[in-house]
Amino acid sequence: METTRRGFFQFLARGSGLLLVLGVGLKALGSRIFRDVLPARSVAPTNRKWVMVIDLAKCDGCKDCTKACTKMHFVPPMQEWMKVYEVADNPAAGSYFLPRTCMHCDNPPCVRGCPVGATYKRTDGVVLMDQERCIGCRNCIAQCPYSARFFNWADPPHTAEELKFTYSVEHNYPHRKGVVEKCILCPEMLRMGMLPGCAETCKMGAIFFGDELEDAVTNAKGETMQFSKIAAKGAGFRLMEELGTEPRVYYLPPVNRKYPSPGEKHMHDMGAA
Amino acid sequence: MNEREANLLQTLKMSGRGFHAWVMLLAAIVLWGLFAYVRQLRYGLAETGMRDQISWGLYISNFVFFIGISHAGTLISAILRVTDTDWRRPITRMAEGITVVALCIGGTMVLVDLGRPERALNLLWHPRIQSPIVWDVLSVSTYLAGCLVYFYLPLMPDLGILASHPGIGPVRRRLYRLLSLGWTGSRSDWHWLEKAISVMAVAIIPLAISVHTVVSWIFAMTLRPGWDSSIFGPYFVVGAIYSGAAAVVLAMCILRRVLRLEAYLLPVHFRNLGLLLLSFSLLYLYFNINEYLTVGYKFQSAEKLLLDRLLYGDYAPYFWTVQVVGVALPMLLMMAVLGPKRYRQFTVPGLGLASFLAIVGAWAKRYLIVVPTLSSPFLPIQGVPEKWAHYSPSWVEWSITAAAFAAFLLLYTLLTRVFPVISIWETRPAEQLEEPVAPTSFGPSIWGPAALLPLLLACAILWCAPAARAQSATKNTPAPEPTSLAVSWKALSPAEVPRVEDGRTAQPSSASDRVYLSSRVLPHFLWNPGTPSAHGEPAHSVIEVSARLRDAKGQPLAYQAVGFALKTSLGVLDYGRRPTDDEGKVALVVRDRRYGQYMMDISYQGDEAHPASRSQVQVDFGPRPKPALPESGVLISPTFSPAIGLPFLGFYGSMWCVFAYVIGYLVFFRMRRERKTKS
Repeated sequence: METTRRGFFQFLARGSGLLLVLGVGLKALGSRIFRDVLPARSVAPTNRKWVMVIDLAKCDGCKDCTKACTKMHFVPPMQEWMKVYEVADNPAAGSYFLPRTCMHCDNPPCVRGCPVGATYKRTDGVVLMDQERCIGCRNCIAQCPYSARFFNWADPPHTAEELKFTYSVEHNYPHRKGVVEKCILCPEMLRMGMLPGCAETCKMGAIFFGDELEDAVTNAKGETMQFSKIAAKGAGFRLMEELGTEPRVYYLPPVNRKYPSPGEKHMHDMGAA
Repeated sequence: MNEREANLLQTLKMSGRGFHAWVMLLAAIVLWGLFAYVRQLRYGLAETGMRDQISWGLYISNFVFFIGISHAGTLISAILRVTDTDWRRPITRMAEGITVVALCIGGTMVLVDLGRPERALNLLWHPRIQSPIVWDVLSVSTYLAGCLVYFYLPLMPDLGILASHPGIGPVRRRLYRLLSLGWTGSRSDWHWLEKAISVMAVAIIPLAISVHTVVSWIFAMTLRPGWDSSIFGPYFVVGAIYSGAAAVVLAMCILRRVLRLEAYLLPVHFRNLGLLLLSFSLLYLYFNINEYLTVGYKFQSAEKLLLDRLLYGDYAPYFWTVQVVGVALPMLLMMAVLGPKRYRQFTVPGLGLASFLAIVGAWAKRYLIVVPTLSSPFLPIQGVPEKWAHYSPSWVEWSITAAAFAAFLLLYTLLTRVFPVISIWETRPAEQLEEPVAPTSFGPSIWGPAALLPLLLACAILWCAPAARAQSATKNTPAPEPTSLAVSWKALSPAEVPRVEDGRTAQPSSASDRVYLSSRVLPHFLWNPGTPSAHGEPAHSVIEVSARLRDAKGQPLAYQAVGFALKTSLGVLDYGRRPTDDEGKVALVVRDRRYGQYMMDISYQGDEAHPASRSQVQVDFGPRPKPALPESGVLISPTFSPAIGLPFLGFYGSMWCVFAYVIGYLVFFRMRRERKTKS
C-alpha cells in the first residue's frame, strides 16, 4: 500500500479514536464494578471525628496509660498498644517522654497495604482490626512507620475474665494466635461517652481526647479545651508529618516541663539506689 | 535418532546408587522441614526468630530469592528465542525448568510465612487490589501459569518423539503420548507450535519483568528507610536476572558433568552465557553504587542509622559478603576466564564457581534487603528484650529454608528424570528439522477487551451496603426561664461577625489553602475520592450568645460576671466569665470550628445582694459535615482506585487471555482441527 501523509493521519485518528472508546468503556465498567461501598462490620456511633491531643509537657513517663490499656484490653504480653518512648530530637534539647498510640491516620499505610481488608478505617476515624479476617501476612507491620502494630506470635495466655467475652471488632479479645493487634481507641468506651482508657487514667492530664467536629478535647482531670485553640496556640504537631500519613493524634511540644526529664529521672533513680 | 540423542535419553533412566542416595537425602531434608513446619503450625510463629520489630525474616528473603532465580527461564529462553539466537537451543529447557520449580518453591515460602495459613483463601474472597500483597498473588500466579505453558510448549515435540521411541517403557510412553496431545510432527503441527511458542516468548518477557518489580514493591511501597526507594523495581529485576542467569550456568555445569552432556553443552555456550552473566554483574554493581551512594551522600537521619549498621555495624558481614562475594569476586573471576586467551581453558569451572558465588551473594542480599530495614524503624526500639530487638533465625526457620532448597533440587532432579533435560528437537541438526513456516504473526485476536470481562468480574472486590445515615433535624428553641437570667443566641452572618484580630480567625483560611501533595493533589490516585480534607467541610457558623441579667425587680444588673460553658459529649468547655454592661447585657461570640447542637450553660454566681442564677440554652453550630471519609457506607476502607487497579488487572488479565489463546486456541483448537481435516 502506498504511504501517504493523509493515510498516516487517518491511521493516527483511528488509533486515538479506538483508545478513547476503550478508555471510556473501561471507566464505565470500572465504576460499575468497583463501588466505594463496604459492608458494615462495626457501625460507627455517629458522624464523629475523634482526635487525641497529648501534651508532652505534662507527661512524666509514669506509664499509667500503658498499664490501664494493657489491663482493659487484656493486651498479650510483650505488646504495648500505648507505649511511652524516651526520645530526644537532638543532643542539646535533651530527652522527653513520648506516649505513642496508634495514630489512627487519615491516610493509613496499614489500611492501604492490607491484602484482605482486615484492617480498615471507620467513618469516625478509628482504624480497626478484624481478627477473623486477618491472614497474618504482617504487611501492615512493615507499613506502619510508628511501630504501633503487634503480632500474636504464639497463642496468647488467656485469663478467665478475658474468656468470658465473645469476640467483637470493637474489642479484640479473646486474643488469638497469628493475627495482628493494635490500639483500637476503645470504641466501646466512646460508645458509652467515656474517654479511652489511656486518657481516662492519665493522672497528669496529659492526654486530651475529643471530637474534632465539637472542637473540644477533654482529659482525665475534666479539663475541656478548645481543640483548635490549643493546637494552634500550643504549636501542636503530629508525629512524622513529613510521611503524609495525616495522623489523628496531635502532640503539644514538651516545653516548660514541670517534672524531671527522663535523663534527670534516671539520675535520681540511680542516686536513690 | 542418532547416538547422541540416545545418550541424552539415558538421563531419563537414571537409577544408579548415587541417584537414589541423592534423592533420599533431599527427601529426608524436605521431611525434616515439614516436621519443622508442623511445629510452627502448632505453636505459632513464636517458633521463629521473628518478633514485632523484625516481623519478616528468612521466609520472605527466600521468597524474594526464589522469585529472582525464576527469572532464569525468561531471560535465557524468551529473549534468546525472540531474537532467534542459535546457541540457546540446548539451554532453554534447563532454564525453563528452573523457572517453574523456583516459582513453586517461592510461592510456598509466602504461605509458610503467614500467621494464619488456613485463611490464605481470604486473598481470593476479600482481595484489595491496592495491596502490594495482592499484586504479588496476581503476578506470581500469572507468571507460574505462563511459565508452565512456556515450559510445556517446546516439550510437545519431544514428548511426541519419546512416545514412539522403543527404548522407553510402555507406561511412560503412554504418559508421554497423553501429554503430547497426540503430536504427529506434521507440517501444520509445527506451524501452530512455532506460532504458540513465539506468542508466549513475547508475552513472557514483560510478565517476568513485572513480576520482580511487583515483588520489589512490597518493600518500596512502605515508608521505611532503606525500602522507600524509587530504584527498587529495576534494581530487583537486574538482581533477579543476575541470580537467575547464575543459576542456569551452575545448573549447566553440574548437569554437564553428572549427566555427561559434553556433546550438547559446549564451551561456547558457557562463554556466551558467561558474557551475559558478566554484563549483568556489571549492571548490578552499577545499581548497587547508585542505591547506596545516593543515600550515603546525604545521610538523612533514618537512612544514616541504617547505612551505618550496613557498612560498619552488625550487618556489615552480610553487606560485604554481598558486595565482595556476590558481585566483585564473580565479576573478576568471569573477566579472567572470559577475557585473556591464557585462561580460557578454565571457562567452565571458572564460570561454575563464579555463578555459585553469585547465588550465595544473591541470597545474602535478599536477607540484607529484608532484615536490616525492619530492625531500624523510625521510632527507636525500646523496652523489649535483646532477643526481640535483634533477629536471629531459629532452627525452625533454618530447617524450612534448608527444606526449600532441598525441595528445589529434588523437584529439579525429578524433572530431569521425567523429561529430557535438553530439548531433542531443538538441538537436532537443521536439515532434520522441518522448516517452520516463516512469518509468525499474531493470529485473529479472540482476546479483545471483551474477554477481560470475566476476569474483572472475578476480581471484583467490593460489595454494596446501603448507606444508612439520617440527620435528625431538631429545631432549637431558646427556653426562656422566668429567672433573672434571660438568654438568647443567634448565628451571625459573615457581615455581622465582629472583626477581632485573633489567630483563630485567620488560621483556618491559611490552613485550607495549603496544598499537601500526598492528600490533596493525588487523592484519587492513591486513595479513593473522599480524602479527608478541610475542603469538604462547610463553613462553621459563628454564633452569638447573649444574656440579660436582671434582679428580682426586673432592674438590669450592671458590671456583674456571667459565666459561659458549653457542654460537649466528653466534657464541659469553659469560656470564662464576662461582665455585663450597664443595661445588664452580656454577649459571647463563639467562633470555634464546631458543628452540631450543644447545651450552653450560662451562670451568674451571685453576690451578697443578689442570689445566684443559672440558665441553659441549646445552641446550634450548623449541621455536622458529611463523613470525612467516603459517604457511602458507615464503615469504610480505602477502596478500589482505578488508577491502581486497572493497570494490574488489565496487564495480568491480558496475560491470562494470551495463555488462553495460546493453549486453548492455537494448540487445542487449531492444531487438532487441522489434524482431523488431514485424516
